[in-house]
Amino acid sequence: MSKDVKPITISGEIQVPYNFAVGLAGSRFLAELRDNGKFMATKCKKCGYVMMPPRIFCEECFIDDVEWVEASSKGKIQTFAVSYMSPEGKRIKDPWMLAIVKLDKSDGGLLVRLDEVKPDDVKIGMRVEAVLKPKNQRVGSILDIQHFRPVKD
Amino acid sequence: MARRVAIVGAGMQKFARRKEENINEMIFEVAKNALDNAGLTRDAIDAVVLGNAVDAFCGIHNSSKLAVEGSGGLMKPMMMNSTSGSTAISLPILGYTHVASGLYDVVMVIAYEKMSENLAAQAVFNTVYDEVYVRPLGLNVPLQCGLEARRYLNKYGLTEVHMAKVSVKNRGNALSNPYAQMPMKITVGDVLNSPYISWPVKLFDTSPVTDGARAVIFAAEDVAREITDDPVWVRGVGRGANSCYFMGRRLDDLGRLDYAYLAARQAYDMAGIKNPRAVIDYAEVYDPFTYKEMQHCEALGLCDEGGAGRMLDEGTSSKEGKLPVNASGGLQGEGNPIAAGMSRLCWCYKMIKKEAGDCQVPKEVNTAICNGWGGMFQYSAVMIIGRD
Repeated sequence: MSKDVKPITISGEIQVPYNFAVGLAGSRFLAELRDNGKFMATKCKKCGYVMMPPRIFCEECFIDDVEWVEASSKGKIQTFAVSYMSPEGKRIKDPWMLAIVKLDKSDGGLLVRLDEVKPDDVKIGMRVEAVLKPKNQRVGSILDIQHFRPVKD
Repeated sequence: MARRVAIVGAGMQKFARRKEENINEMIFEVAKNALDNAGLTRDAIDAVVLGNAVDAFCGIHNSSKLAVEGSGGLMKPMMMNSTSGSTAISLPILGYTHVASGLYDVVMVIAYEKMSENLAAQAVFNTVYDEVYVRPLGLNVPLQCGLEARRYLNKYGLTEVHMAKVSVKNRGNALSNPYAQMPMKITVGDVLNSPYISWPVKLFDTSPVTDGARAVIFAAEDVAREITDDPVWVRGVGRGANSCYFMGRRLDDLGRLDYAYLAARQAYDMAGIKNPRAVIDYAEVYDPFTYKEMQHCEALGLCDEGGAGRMLDEGTSSKEGKLPVNASGGLQGEGNPIAAGMSRLCWCYKMIKKEAGDCQVPKEVNTAICNGWGGMFQYSAVMIIGRD
């Protein structure tokens, strides 16, 4: 057919700016985190399930009769992962860690950065607590949580 | 009541970085192969169902609009479907329902992915995450799999050696597959010594970025019986979806895939199968990472919950085993053009028809199962096919 012709490719790039909607529940969550340093969840008034991240409706009962409750800034590690690649995909010497932390006083959890602990010392089930950025540096982002670290007894 | 539906043809091609072709040219090959396999022409096709998993790879939003001619769908009804990686099996389920509903008699289903045109795969994957709770943290595919795999191994006491056995088995099986991108004769030691992506996942636990397509033709019973004396029926389908907030789920702790168990149960109920291990002769399960084959074997009931390691240790899932899994090489050995993982269904069909060439398993295959997986640990889709 046309295999005798060298295939041509055309270089291109797509760059699109966005303003992502955080949503009604997410906005309240991030505002409370920023202004009061609190981890707010929503509780279904029918089944009692405490949602973290919060939602404005119960996904199971499918009603919007939910109330805001304060979850703990402490919890335990459900699982974690260690990366020797930067978020940009470059090999790095000092690894960084992400963990899923199930927060106390909620039935859910958050994906968080883990720090102040060596990868070899982290265990599933380990108790951890949040370290927030100083209030004047908090902007209403999940990154207002600087990281989680092992609970110091 | 749903009509009976048979698969009457499958179209394959080699998975590779197919930079020389555009999407239309690439899928024309599999559409034509499927028609030839079924002994049909384009005129026989009443409608086309097609799709891919992630448009950002090829850089064209709703890329299926570029695939009308190559799919054989010119001036025919066409519908796109995408459920991330589980598109691999949700697409054929949609094709099946087109026929089962009585709306169309013959439907062409095409799954494709063109990944190599993109020059920054990780940047593409970053666009799939929730922008409030996940993306700012820098989650990427390696870390995502590290989170899930660690939880899974920890929950059931499984090991990296079990994962390595999947890699050795599937890459080895791919040596017999003419369409495979990554056939390799390797040892468990080779896998264990390959560089870590994120513990416990290593390079040889992953599957390669690639391009490719697959096609399957579904036909109503009366049409199928005209085409063949040995129809392969769709016996059961099932699907399940869970929340994108994988960190805060009511069920499912990433170790146990509740949504995949749900999809399997639906498919088995529909097929009237009560004891899968006594009935299923062959399985092609979605294995973009080695531990996913293990999780999926459990969810599909091909072994006990937490029993995937034992299944590998005993050789049950090897090509000559009692219940072979991914004798084609799976995504590990054949390559992973995400939605074109519909190859899993194609190989189930080929095994039943004894058209699998050097990949053919020694045992007789009458009933086979396959699945797909996708989203933020979210979707599962299952299809069971077989003879009466």
